[in-house]
Amino acid sequence: MALISTILALRRDARILKVPPYLSAFLILVGVAWLLVLPLDEYARNTYVSENALLPGQVHTYFTGSEHNVFRAYRHEVATLDQWSVEDRSRRLKDMFSESNLKVASQKYTYHVSGRNISNQNVYAVLQGPRADATEAIVLMAAWKNMDDAINYSGVALVLALARYFKRWSLWSKDIIFLIPGDSTSGSQAWVDAYHNAHDPLTIESLSIKSGALQGAVAVDYPAGPWGHRYDKLHIVYDGTNGQLPNLDLFNTAVSIAAGQMGISCTLQRMFSHADTYRDRLQTIFRGMLSQGLGHATGPHSAFIPYHVDAITLVTVGDGWHDEMSLGRAVESIFRSLNNLLEHLHQSFFFYLLLEAKKFVSIGTYLPSAMLIAASFSIMAIAKWVESGRPPKPPNPASTKPTTTPSPSEKDTTTPEPPSPELPMVVAKIGAETTLLPTSSLEITERSLFFPLAFVLSTHFLSLLPLYTFNNLPQAHLRTTFFLAANLTPILPLLTAFLLRRLAPSRPSAQEITLIQCFSLLFLGMILSTLATLNFSLSFFIGVLCSPLSFVRMTRNYVASGAMFLGLAVLNPVLVVQVASQVGGVGVLEVLLKAAEGWHVWGLWTQVVVWLVWWPAWFVGSVVVALGFF
Amino acid sequence: MKFSPALLPLLAAPFAAAEHTSNWAVLVGTSRFWFNYRHLANVLSLYRTVKRLGIPDSQIILMLPDDMACNPRNAFPGTVYNNADRALDLYGDNIEVDYRGYEVTVENFIRLMTDRVPEDMPRSKRLMTDERSNILVYMTGHGGNEFLKFQDAEEISAYDLADAFGQMWEKKRYHEILFMIDTCQANTMYSKFYSPNILATGSSEIDQSSYSHHADSDVGVAVIDRYTYYNLEFLEDKVRDPTSKTTMGELFDSYDEDLMHSRPGIRYDLFDGGEDVARSRRILDFFGNVQNVEIDTGGQRNETQWKEELEAIERMIEEAKRRHNETLNVRPHAQHIVEEAEQMRTQQTIKEGAARVDEEADWKKQIIGAAALLGCAGIWAAGSLFESF
Repeated sequence: MALISTILALRRDARILKVPPYLSAFLILVGVAWLLVLPLDEYARNTYVSENALLPGQVHTYFTGSEHNVFRAYRHEVATLDQWSVEDRSRRLKDMFSESNLKVASQKYTYHVSGRNISNQNVYAVLQGPRADATEAIVLMAAWKNMDDAINYSGVALVLALARYFKRWSLWSKDIIFLIPGDSTSGSQAWVDAYHNAHDPLTIESLSIKSGALQGAVAVDYPAGPWGHRYDKLHIVYDGTNGQLPNLDLFNTAVSIAAGQMGISCTLQRMFSHADTYRDRLQTIFRGMLSQGLGHATGPHSAFIPYHVDAITLVTVGDGWHDEMSLGRAVESIFRSLNNLLEHLHQSFFFYLLLEAKKFVSIGTYLPSAMLIAASFSIMAIAKWVESGRPPKPPNPASTKPTTTPSPSEKDTTTPEPPSPELPMVVAKIGAETTLLPTSSLEITERSLFFPLAFVLSTHFLSLLPLYTFNNLPQAHLRTTFFLAANLTPILPLLTAFLLRRLAPSRPSAQEITLIQCFSLLFLGMILSTLATLNFSLSFFIGVLCSPLSFVRMTRNYVASGAMFLGLAVLNPVLVVQVASQVGGVGVLEVLLKAAEGWHVWGLWTQVVVWLVWWPAWFVGSVVVALGFF
Repeated sequence: MKFSPALLPLLAAPFAAAEHTSNWAVLVGTSRFWFNYRHLANVLSLYRTVKRLGIPDSQIILMLPDDMACNPRNAFPGTVYNNADRALDLYGDNIEVDYRGYEVTVENFIRLMTDRVPEDMPRSKRLMTDERSNILVYMTGHGGNEFLKFQDAEEISAYDLADAFGQMWEKKRYHEILFMIDTCQANTMYSKFYSPNILATGSSEIDQSSYSHHADSDVGVAVIDRYTYYNLEFLEDKVRDPTSKTTMGELFDSYDEDLMHSRPGIRYDLFDGGEDVARSRRILDFFGNVQNVEIDTGGQRNETQWKEELEAIERMIEEAKRRHNETLNVRPHAQHIVEEAEQMRTQQTIKEGAARVDEEADWKKQIIGAAALLGCAGIWAAGSLFESF
């Protein structure tokens, strides 16, 4: 009891309100530092294949010899298709599949995004496992055009050659689907949606033949032309839409087969020369987090991952001595491993950060980082709530007591203050005891909740407007609208603050301002901690970019207000997006187009977080600061 | 009843550590799934070996929880190999699987061992052993400290197994058991045994894994485990035919820790006579079938022995006859039948080496019987007499 009452008494301690900002800052620092130590050997772990059934690299591969001639012939044939119309191309691809005695079909799809049409055709063939029960399937695909918009000649030829080759084996325990999507992102999305009957039949054709539940998908991206190109490394792309990742076992299988069996070194996140130093590892983590945080589709495989179909893309990079057959054998071996699966990949991690091809950090190690940052907002929200419940000027308990024995040194400078006569006092009687208390310590401070709640909620609600606008505006207006938004965003808080003061001069009282901040931070903290479990990277980045919001406050000091407002204006979401896209070397327009495509086609949620979480939080913080000016 | 040294083993069975009269093998694989191919190959290798050495299919209980030969992933449909050279198809044409698929459960295994089975259980699924049967129990699968997993669904503990063997001993269901197990931490599985006459060996110590020997790169999985591989290698090389005199000791001495990558264990203490007796048991006492044929070789020496024996028996018969004539002259006819039967029996036993021992027809028993009958008649007569009053 004594302990509890001591702790309860602490609530009244003025010092306790001084702690949260420091604690909050400390958590942010620890959160960032946490991420910086992850590349160290003490925190990174070596990858391992934890699914027993996979047995990667235990089989001889026979995709060699005369298969090479078959492949070359296909590659030449594919090379002649690049000038053909989509219809003709699809028909020819279908013919080539059916010549290998496979069931074949095609699918037309059209998406309307930002006023333009994304329209193409997918071609796919189904190899029924000769002794299988047709309840499961694995997918091998090569998009007609890769992510850099280059025609995937060798990739498509490899899928055709492997389809012909796989047909001759009798050991498939699952059906194998060979898919040639019309493009790298929307094509595979249309196909996967239709496969799971989650498509809009008006614009996307339903699939005429299907197989069992998809167990895995591997995409090949090898844009070498008809005369081939020897590559140096395999770049394994694994990010799915919204930062979802495939099971680590699939990635590990690909690495262990490519590196262990075929001798092809593997790389990831465009770290084409990775020296395994701290710096390179950190950079790999950072790139991985950036890709995850953006949540965009990074290849034909990305569409599969939201359907819980583990998928990766193998991209050939560099100039080296590995030829198409070694890639084909690697794919063959990966498929033999996937063929061994008895159930869905589930043993290994779904949440991880990779440092290099054979080192990773698991969620238990990295999650606290984003959680600490999210907690810093929650702590400040609680502090603001407590602060809002205090009387406007808390009387100093020390000043009410007559100092009986003033120290000699203080005597010269300060005279002992008698209890101020104007301080209202009440006499309290508890049993036989009588005591004199200042009235203010017994008063209950009412919190006026309506205005702060209405303000925060309406801000969040109104931010639906830019979300809708940017998702649906035609391409031609996107850029101008964006620059309008970029100019409007810093002005809007000032305008809002000015109007608030003008319309109701006394309205946002100090307590209401505190409560506005409290609700905004509470919302931010809760959303970010939830988001951290779904998309760690996005939560981390938004958390770091929002971190000043915990510390800004309304002050009548114009210099301080100006500095704070300037700082916030620099970190405003629209400006950050603009600067980041310029640093990243892609135009703002492309980012906006991809975002709109993501919203309508891939089911991307990043802009929801930006517009409905980040932007309102920033706006509320800026309004609070701007109120100091008026 | 001591007729001759040749009969001694048969007639003195209950008293001394004598020979067994039948051999049984219980071969159990406990794991499913394609990547456990090697466990099925282990069991089938043992199956093939005991068949080669003479145990008939009717005395082999083969438990296979999965069918690797028909798995769609098998690049060679209908076959199971235990070596990457694929010289020998273990599945072959003549294989009798007694418990297959989901029939391989802990319950079924313990019911089999203790013979607690329903009446309609076919004989092929029963272990029809008695106190003169030697049993080879071979198990393989995934195990751990004092347990062995069955089918990814349940496990048998070392205590369950020990109790099953204990109950078998109480029910006189075995003479001697050779227990072999190839699994991780295998030696813990026999650590709880308490019933006598069990010779146990396992592939690895506590906290040790058992490893596979090699993989077949076309089948794509490991095809045999190390412990089983080296046991088989010895059996193939040193026990070439069903008359081999190779002993268990020689097999145990061949175990090489460096080759097996684990420390195999052997438990002698339960065996009657301990280590020396256990080691001197022939391998065929467990892996082969009883084949106690008295071979008529050499002629001369044996013939004299035969004659001596026959004379000795003759004398015994004469002696018995004389005694019977002296004591049972009241019933000469009955006596004659007894004599003849005994004569025939002795001759048969000498020829074939096996005979049924009849209950002794003693004159004392005849008198007791007659007295009992007379007594009954007397009681009946007395009863009718009382009733007539």
